[in-house]
Order: sequence, then C-alpha cells, then structure tokens
Amino acid sequence: MSISRSIAGVLLAGALALFLPATPAAAQQGPLVDAEWLSKNLDNPKVRVFEVSVDPGVYERGHIPGAVNINWHTDLVDTVRRDIASSAKFKDLLEKAGVTKDTTIVLYGDNNNWFAAWGAWVFNIYGLGDQVKLLDGGRKYWEKLGLPLDTKVPAYARSDLTVSAANPQLRARLADVLEVVDGKKNAVIVDIRSPDEFSGKLFAPEGSRELSIRAGHVRGAKNVTWSKAVDPETGKFKSKEELKKLYAEAGVDGSKPVIVYCRIGERSSHTWYALSRILGYEVRNYDGSWTEYGNSVGVPIANVAGTVWQGK
Amino acid sequence: MARSVSILAAFVLTGAILLGILHLSAGDAASRALGLSLALGAVFGAVLQRTRFCFFCHTRDLIEGGDPRGVLSILLALAVGTAGYVLVIGAWLPVPLPGRLPPDAHIGPVSVALAAAAFVFGLGMAVSGSCISAHLYRLGEGSPTAPFALLGTTAGFALGFFTWNSLYLAVISDAPVVWLPYHLGYAGTLGATFAALVLLALLALRASRTTAEPARSRPLDISGAAHAIFVARWPALVGGVAVGVLSAASYLRVGPLGVTAEIGSLARTAANGAGWLPDTLHGLDSFRGCATAIQTVLLSENGVFIAGLAVASFAAALAAGQFTPRRPTGRDIFAGLAGGVLMGWGAMTALGCTVGVLLSGIHAGALSGWVFLIASFLGVVAGLPLRRRLAGGRITH
Repeated sequence: MSISRSIAGVLLAGALALFLPATPAAAQQGPLVDAEWLSKNLDNPKVRVFEVSVDPGVYERGHIPGAVNINWHTDLVDTVRRDIASSAKFKDLLEKAGVTKDTTIVLYGDNNNWFAAWGAWVFNIYGLGDQVKLLDGGRKYWEKLGLPLDTKVPAYARSDLTVSAANPQLRARLADVLEVVDGKKNAVIVDIRSPDEFSGKLFAPEGSRELSIRAGHVRGAKNVTWSKAVDPETGKFKSKEELKKLYAEAGVDGSKPVIVYCRIGERSSHTWYALSRILGYEVRNYDGSWTEYGNSVGVPIANVAGTVWQGK
Repeated sequence: MARSVSILAAFVLTGAILLGILHLSAGDAASRALGLSLALGAVFGAVLQRTRFCFFCHTRDLIEGGDPRGVLSILLALAVGTAGYVLVIGAWLPVPLPGRLPPDAHIGPVSVALAAAAFVFGLGMAVSGSCISAHLYRLGEGSPTAPFALLGTTAGFALGFFTWNSLYLAVISDAPVVWLPYHLGYAGTLGATFAALVLLALLALRASRTTAEPARSRPLDISGAAHAIFVARWPALVGGVAVGVLSAASYLRVGPLGVTAEIGSLARTAANGAGWLPDTLHGLDSFRGCATAIQTVLLSENGVFIAGLAVASFAAALAAGQFTPRRPTGRDIFAGLAGGVLMGWGAMTALGCTVGVLLSGIHAGALSGWVFLIASFLGVVAGLPLRRRLAGGRITH
C-alpha cells in the first residue's frame, strides 16, 4: 500500500470515528477479542470480563481492571461428583457478576488460557456461546503489552439471567468415544497431549501426578498437541487459515464430527475452542479424558512406547 | 580485614544485587516477580542485619538481660504487618466467607503436632543461638555457628519428611485450619490482635530491668547520619516497623514472607534424589505454609529472596565493620548442628518457622501463628538453661 493511500485511510478512519456513534461491544466480531480492543472497553457496561486462572493469588495480585474471579476448582465444577457445575450454580455465578443476555462475556486466564477455555466450553454448554469470547493470548499477552492490572475486587449489581439446560452435543462421554473406537459412529478423535504422553512414554506430564494406570492413547486417535495452535511468543491463536491447514494435515477437516481429549479435559478445551468456535467444526470435548479412559477396564488402548504400569 | 577493603567489598556486593534486580526486572512477568523477590530479600536482609532483628535473641535479652526493646520491636512488627495484611486481604476478599481463604496466606492446621514442632523449634533456637532467618544474616557476619546451624536445619528437614506421614495420619489430617476473620471479622481480628499484642507488651515492660541510657548522640551532619545508617545499630522499633511493612508489601506483590521454603525444598530434592524420602508425603502439598517442593526450576521466588537476604546482610555487615569471622570451635559446631536439626524438624513439621508461621501467620489472622508463638516461646524458656550449660558460662551469639 502506498504512503498516500495509508494516510488517506487513517484520515478516513479518523473522520468516521468523529461522526459515527460508538458501538464498542459490537465492534469485535468472532470468538476472540484483542487485548488492544479490550483495554479500550473496560468501562463498557456491556462487557464483563472474567479471569479463570488456576494458580492461586494470580487474580488477587493483579487482574484486568473490573474482571471477576472464577475459581476453576470450585466455581466451574461440581466439587463432589466429577462433573461440570450445575446450571443453578452457574446461573448464580453469572447473576452475581451482573451478566445479562446483552453482555459480551470475555474470559481470560493464566497457563495459556487453558482454564479460561474450559470456562468458555462450560458457558457454551449452558447456551451462552454467542456471548462468550476468549481474550486472545490470555494473561500472557496482556502482561506482555504492559497493559494495566488492578487488585480491587469489583462489585456489580445482581442481574436476572436465564440459562438454558446443558447442551449434551458439546460433550463426549466415555460411551461416545467407545462407539467411535468400535466403528459404530463416524468421527475423528483428537488427542491434544504431548507426543510423549500420546505414545505412552509418559503416564502424566511433568508437574502432574500420575492419575492413570495405563499409558498411551485412545485407539485410532490423531495427535495434534494443543500448543501447535498458538504462536509461542504471544500465546495468541494462529490465523484461521493456519489452523485449518494444521488440523487438515492430521485428517481433521470438519467433514466428520470431532472429539477432543487430553488428561483432565482442560487443555482439550483449548483445542475445542479452536476447532469449534474459530473453525466452526462440530466438536465435542471429552472431559473424562485420559484419567477416565486410561483407567477404564477393557477399553482399546494403543501404547506405542510399550510402557508397563509399575513395571520395572 | 582492612576497613577500606570491607567497604569496597560492600559496594561490589550491593552493585551485584542491583544488577541482578535490574536484569530480572527487564524480563517477562515471571522474571519481574523474581526481580521483586530479590529486592525484597535484599531489603529484608539489610534491615535484619542493621537492626539485629532476631526472634530468639530479643526473647533472651528480655528473659536474661531484662531488656524489653527487642521483644517490643517484634510485637510492633506483628501489629504493623497485621494492619497491612488486613488492608490487602480486605480488598481481595471483601467478605471473609467460610470455605475461601486468602490466596497463599500462611494459615496452617492447628494441632498438637504444630505445638510440639514449635516447642522443638524454640529449643533449637536456644541451642543454636538464633532462629533460621537470623542465622542467614549471621552468615554474612562470619558467625562460626550459622553455617552449621543451616546445615543442621537441612538435615532436620529430611528428618521431618521422615516423620511426616505418621504425624499427618495421626493428627494433622483432621486438624482445623482456623482463620480468625471468619469468626471475628476483619475489624474484630485487628482489634483482638492489637489487644493481645498490647497485653504482651505490658508483660514485657513489667519484666524490664533496664536503666535509662545516657544519650550518646552525634552531631547530625553527613558523617553523623552515615554513621547512624551504616555503622550504628538501628533502633529496635525501626526494625519492627520495617519488618511489618515488608511482610505486607511482600504479600501484596509476591507472597507471604518465609525463609524455609527454599531450604526445605533443597532438603526434599536432595533426599528424594538419594531415595531417602517416603514414596508419598501425604497431604503435604495441600497445606498452606512454607511449601516445599521438588525443585524443577533453577531460580525460585523464595530462592532469590534468600539469596538477596544473605548477600545484602553480608554487604551491610561489611560496611558496618561487623564482618568478624572466627574459626569455629567444637562447641560452635555442635550447637549449630544440634540446634539446626531441632529447628529443621520443627520448621518442616510446623510448615514454616518464626517468619513463615509466626510472623506471616499472625499477620494473616491465622490461629496457627499464635500457637507457634506460644509454643516456641516455651521452647526457648526450656532451652535457655541448655544453652548456658553448652556455652559453659561463655554466652556467644
């Protein structure tokens, strides 16, 4: 583009900004929001930001101004049985944060947005998919830009929100996975763990306790490590075209339904977000993941590395 | 060592710390946190060295010498830090609801094991002549006991890991984690803490046998001010205020003050590597306190904090002409190792020491901090006769 055309473009944009009414919340289309956009919309009452970080003290020592804290361990799950939070609990959480049906909900967090993506998946299950967006790059990119953080906990007037019943189409259960493995249903299973977990060399990634007594992967699953979907420098998702190419190379092109899984279902939410929300494929997250599958009796497993649990 | 060499060395060390802080602070968010930890550790070390802040020595000065100033400075540190913590926690958790604890605050389980561990820790302080944080700054003063005390502490930690599982199953797993603001609210906790501290201060003053000191003031010119800052001991109350402010500042930005996480982690990593640890340490990683972990990274926040503390106190001692190394005697070695083992076992079992559990705990409104205070005081009282016998009439510290 020539310099004169760039200048003309800037002038035109400036003129438009002067005359058009501001509609900031609508200005960001699609499933992701930019840090730059969010930093200009922190006072927008139609935007509500939630931090879903897994490390304690991260939110408290500095969060995006106005963001509400969601505690992954207690707020988004049922603490007694292994399940996502009930709709009543979820509705209460959002009403306390003043969320209405017109609110643009922005989620972000530490650890590459893993738990924020889990949150986004739960929000989608309860029918808020059109309203919820991930902050691209999460905390990492926000901090990299040196954008402001706040330690005050905001208080919002309670809202009244209707939450739909849980949508079973976004979630795979063990039985769904087995139907695909047994060839009764046509779908592609994507294991998003590291190659060493996939091959069976490792029972659990570094820093996590061993929770499965078998290593390896669901028979027939494709391995596309979650991190391939992001730019390592910024933590932001790669472009739609790059993502399409990445997954197509592994045989995931949207022509068949997809099931994603990892160890406990949170890293796979990240891939679920890329495939489902960015590429628009039909995807279910198998949140039982390897800690359920790898402990189930009699299910078909591929263990390329040949490791034997407790074997010496 | 010649005075000019000491001062030059102090400059070099200070420069090294500053360079380290600047280098770390120029990195990403995790690195900036390390830079801040290093800076806080350095300030903490300089304050400790300049004020001679020491939980054991201050207590002994009152009991044996009738001097209450040190104990008053500890009580002041507890008051200032509690006020700071209430300001911070009140912003993070506007209402202290049951089921939610302020993040990372050292609010530990209250059990017989905690009381026993704190008592043994008190004995260890008396035998070795200091608590762990004071040994760290005495390292920089060339203390003949401190290196052995820290070595003993590491061994004591390993011993603590060894007894942890039985203690956990017997008493610690069922022990209540009591956070006073649930029961008293923030204002109530602050009021009750202040009332308890005033009561302790009155008791300390009643035990005082000091006589008024003649004023020995130097003229307030540049050389007088430099002497007051770099050579003379800072007034005890300055230490109290500074420690309280540092504790709250550290909690706001990095995490609660503590000096044993790194030592314990080193012990755990070493013992694990040697295959001495039980396969599983039940529940250990789920409790609040000076968490020990198998080391996976070279630089941890507590690691650089300790490094800053040790180097800055060394620089402060050099500048003040208080770096006076002495060849350790058999008594020094024995007192250090034996006291260190007791302190190490106590700090592991109590999930921290006088800094991590007593100071950071009381600041956060944890009942565990108060239990540690009482039990370790009793340990010191019980251990002082031992120390006198060990020193054979010659009291060194």
